[in-house]
Amino acid sequence: MGVGTYFRNIKDAVVTIADGMAVTFSHLVRKPTTIEYPDRLPPGVRVQDTLPFRYRGILEVDLEICTACLACERACPIDCIVIDAQKDKAAGGLVMTRFDIDMAKCMYCGLCSEPCPTGAIHHTPEFEGADYSLESLVRHFVKAPTLAYKPKKAGEDDPAIKPILDRGLRYVAEFAVAGGGDDTSDA
Amino acid sequence: MQELVDSLIASGLLPDTVPAWAHYLAAMLLFGGIVVFGFVLPIAGITTWVERRVMGRMQSRIGPNRVGPAGFLQWLADGIKNLLKEDIVPRAADVPLFKLAPYVVIVGFVATFVVLPFSGDLIIADMNVGILYVTSVTALVVVGILMAGWASNNKWSLLGGIRSAAQIVSYEIPAGLSIFPIVALTGTLSMQGIIRAQGPHPWQWFLFDNPFTLCAFVVFFVSALAEGNRTPFDLPEAESELVAGFATEYSGMRNLLFFMAEWGNLYVIGAIVTTLFLGGWQIPWALDGQPVLRNVLQFGVFFAKAYFFVFLAIWLRWTLPRVRVDQMMTMCWKYLVPIALVNLLGTAVWMLVFPEGVPAVRWLLTLGAGVALLAFFWRVRHHVVAAGYGLKQLSFNPLATRRVEW
Amino acid sequence: MGLAGFEVEIERSRNGGGVVTEDMTLNMGPQHPSTHGVLRFVVRADGEVMKSAVPDVGYLHRSIEKIAEKVGWHGFIPYTDRVDYVAAMFCNHGWAMAAEKLAGIEVPKRAEYCRVIADELCRLHSHLLSVGSMAMDIGAFTPFTHAIREREYLNDLFEELCGARLTFHYMRIGGVGWDLPPGWAEKVLAFLDRFEAMIDEYNRLISYNKIFVERLANVAVITAAEAIDYNLVGPNLRGSGVRYDVRKDDPYSVYPELDFEVPVGRGEMGTLGDSFDRYIVRMEEMKQSCRIIRQALRQIPKGPVIAKVPRNFKPPAGDCYVRLESARGDMGWYVVSDGTAFPHRCKIRTGSFSGISIIEHVSRDLMIADLVAVIASLDLVAPEIDR
Repeated sequence: MGVGTYFRNIKDAVVTIADGMAVTFSHLVRKPTTIEYPDRLPPGVRVQDTLPFRYRGILEVDLEICTACLACERACPIDCIVIDAQKDKAAGGLVMTRFDIDMAKCMYCGLCSEPCPTGAIHHTPEFEGADYSLESLVRHFVKAPTLAYKPKKAGEDDPAIKPILDRGLRYVAEFAVAGGGDDTSDA
Repeated sequence: MQELVDSLIASGLLPDTVPAWAHYLAAMLLFGGIVVFGFVLPIAGITTWVERRVMGRMQSRIGPNRVGPAGFLQWLADGIKNLLKEDIVPRAADVPLFKLAPYVVIVGFVATFVVLPFSGDLIIADMNVGILYVTSVTALVVVGILMAGWASNNKWSLLGGIRSAAQIVSYEIPAGLSIFPIVALTGTLSMQGIIRAQGPHPWQWFLFDNPFTLCAFVVFFVSALAEGNRTPFDLPEAESELVAGFATEYSGMRNLLFFMAEWGNLYVIGAIVTTLFLGGWQIPWALDGQPVLRNVLQFGVFFAKAYFFVFLAIWLRWTLPRVRVDQMMTMCWKYLVPIALVNLLGTAVWMLVFPEGVPAVRWLLTLGAGVALLAFFWRVRHHVVAAGYGLKQLSFNPLATRRVEW
Repeated sequence: MGLAGFEVEIERSRNGGGVVTEDMTLNMGPQHPSTHGVLRFVVRADGEVMKSAVPDVGYLHRSIEKIAEKVGWHGFIPYTDRVDYVAAMFCNHGWAMAAEKLAGIEVPKRAEYCRVIADELCRLHSHLLSVGSMAMDIGAFTPFTHAIREREYLNDLFEELCGARLTFHYMRIGGVGWDLPPGWAEKVLAFLDRFEAMIDEYNRLISYNKIFVERLANVAVITAAEAIDYNLVGPNLRGSGVRYDVRKDDPYSVYPELDFEVPVGRGEMGTLGDSFDRYIVRMEEMKQSCRIIRQALRQIPKGPVIAKVPRNFKPPAGDCYVRLESARGDMGWYVVSDGTAFPHRCKIRTGSFSGISIIEHVSRDLMIADLVAVIASLDLVAPEIDR
C-alpha cells in the first residue's frame, strides 16, 4: 500500500461517511412516511376506505342475488368454496342449503369473483381476519335454506333486491370484465 | 465529596462521635446510590428511547409512540417486561460463569461513574488517577463479554466473545495514546484537573488547542465507539452475522443488563470526550456567590455536551454499515495507532516549540470547524432539495407524527 | 470446562508440525437473520475463516410444479405468485407466455404493454428488496428502511393496479386481468420522478460508503468463465461482465420496441465480478427499468387487454419452453400439455437455484461475515430455489 493510497483511504472514508451522515440528518427534518395504524389515524379515516376499488380483501356473498350456478366453486383452485344446491319443485327453483367459504384456505386470487354473473361473490376491502380458531374462519353464508336468485328478462323490479343487484352488476363491470374471458365454451 | 463531608462535620451537622471514615463511607454509599439509581440507570433507559425515536425519524418512521407521551415511558415498559421474563440458562452452559457475566459487564460500566464529573463540585471521587482509572475499569467489560461468549456454549456466542476481546484489547491502545496528549498538556490525570485546564469557549478547549489534539479527538472517539461495541464496530453482536453474538443465549434480566451497559456506555463515552476535549462543565461566568445556580448550569453544560456525543453515536449507528473483523484490525493497527502516535509526538514537539500555545492556531481551528459545520448543513439542505422535498413535506418538530403527503 | 455440547469436529490438522487447529462446524440457518428465508448452510470454519459453506436447500419446498398438474391452467396463475414471492409478476408472465405459446393465442398489444410496465415495476420492487437487504446484511439498517419505504409506494401502485400488494395475480392467459386504472399512469410517473432522486440519495448514503465498498469489493469474485460454467443468470452473470439479457438476446413481449441498455459490472471498486459489481448492476438496472416504464407509458396503444380465451382452457397436446428475464435472471418455463384441462408437466428453471450452486465454490477462504454479503449479492430468494 503506497502512501497515496493510505491517505486516499482516509479521505474517502471521511468524505463518504460525512455525506452519508448528511443524508440521515436530512431525514430528521422530513416528515415520516408511516401512519400510526390502527388507532391513531387522522379523524374519520378508516384504512379500509382508503384502499383502491380492486383491493382483494375478505370475500363476501350477497345471497339475495346468488344464482347458485357454481361457477365460483369450479373456478376456485383450492376448493375453499363449498355450495350445496338442490332442485326443489315446490320452492320453484334451486334451493341452497350450504354456501361456505373457508377464509383460512382462501388465497385471495379473485378467480371466483370473475365468472360470477351477478357479482354476488365479491371481495371487500376488509383485511383484518385474525381469529382464535380455524373453524371460525369458515364463513357460512346460508343460515336457512334459501331459494337461488333467478335473473328476470325485464330487469329487476323488487325494490329490496334491485340495489344489491345494481351493486353486483357494477362490480362485474368494473372488476371482473377484462379477465372474465369467454363463457360460451364452458358447457 | 470529602471536602463536603469535612465541612459538614466541622459545622456540627454530622456527629463527630462517629469516626470520620464512617461518615465518608455513608456519604459515598448515599451519593453512589443516588447517582446509580437516579442518573445512571435512567440515562441508559432514556437513551434507548432517544435512540429509537432518532432512528425512527432517520428511517422515515415514527418510533415508539404508545407508552406514555410520545412513547417516552417505553424504556420503563421494556425494563419491566425484561424483569418479568423467565431467566433461561441453557443446560449445556457453564452456569456460574453464565450467570456472573452480565454483572461483570455492568460493574465495569457503572464503576466509571466514580470519576465522571457532573459539575464543578459534584463528582463522586476526584481521583488523581481519574482518566487512568476509567480506562482500567472499562477493561472489565471485555472480561464479562468474553465470559458470556464462552459460558453460553454456543458457537455464535463464542465468536462474538472472541471478536469482542480482540476488538477491545486492540482499541485500548489508540484510545490510551489519544489521552496522553491531553495528559501531557495538563500534567494531571484528574478529571476535574483536566477540565479546569480548559475554558468555557470553544477556542479554549483542548479540541482546538493544536492540530494534533484535534486528530487525537477523532481517534479517541472512534476507538471509544469500538470499545463500546457500537456500529460500525458492533461485531461482537453483529445481528446479521452472529445472530446476537455473545448475548444470543441470554434472556430476561441478564440480557437487559447487557443492553443497559451498552446504552449507558454511550453516555460514558460522551462524558469522557467532553472532559478531555470539550472543556467539560466550564461556564463563562464565575457565579461564586451562588453555588447551586453555578452547579446547575455547569451540570447542564456538561450534560448537553456529553449527550451530543450520545446523539452522534446514535446517528453514526444508523448511518454506517459494519466493518469486517479483519478490517477492524487493519483500521486499528494501520490507521489509528500510527496516527495516535504521531499525535502524541506532535503534541510533545508543539509543547516544546510553543510552551504557551498559539492563540492564532486555536482561532483558526475553531473557525475551520465552524466552516466545516456550515458546509455540512449546506450539504444537508442539498440532500433535502435533491430528494424533491418541499417545505410542505418537512417538519422541524422532533416528535412529528403526521405522514408526508405527495 | 469441557467442550460438551459443542459438536466440534476434532479433525486435527498439523500444519507442518506447527500449530494444531480444530475446524468448527457451524450450522447457519434455516433460522438465521440473514439467510433470506429458510436457507441452511453448513459452514466449516477455522475461527472466522470459512473452509467451506455448503448450502442445504429444500426447507421451503411446496411442490408447486406438481400442483400445476392438479389445478388447471387458469387456476395455477395464483400459485405462480408463490414461486418467487419477491417478484411474482415475472412468474405470472412466464406461465401465461407458456400457455399462450401452447395454444397459439395472440396477446393484444395493449396487454403486452401492461405486462411490460408491470414487469418493470416488479423489477424495481424486487431489486429494492435486494439492495436493501444487502445493506442490512452488511449492518446498515437505515438504507434498508429507505428501500422498503420506496417499495411500499410501489406496493400501493400494485394494489391499485391489481388489488394485491405481493401476490399479484395480475396476468392471465391471453393478456392481463385488468386495464391500467384511470389516473394510474400519472401516479407512476410521479413516483418515478421521486424514485430516481431516491436512487441517487441511496448511492450517496450507502453505495459508495467506504466501509460498504470495502466490505464488498474483491469479495467472492466470480470470473465470467466461472459464471457461465455455473450457469449464473441475470444480474449475477452481468456483474461478471457478461452482457446477456433475455430481453435483448431472445426478445419477448414488446421489449424490441423499447430502448434501454443492459448494465454490466465494470470492476469499479475492485476486481470484475466481485460482490460490489453484482450490487451496483442492480442499482443501474433500476434506472433502466424507470426508463422502460416511462417509454411504455408513453407508447401504450388503445385496445383490449385480454384475448378471447375459453374458461375451460384446453391447449392442444405438445410441449413448449419459454423464458423471460426475471429480476433474478433468465427464468425458464417448460410446460407439457396432453390436451386436457390440466397441464401434464411443468418445470420451472430459476436464477436463484443456479445462484446458490456457486456459493460452495466462492465461499472458500472467505470470512463468516462475507458469507452473508455473498448470499445477499447473489440475491437468493429461498422460495425460488425450492419451489
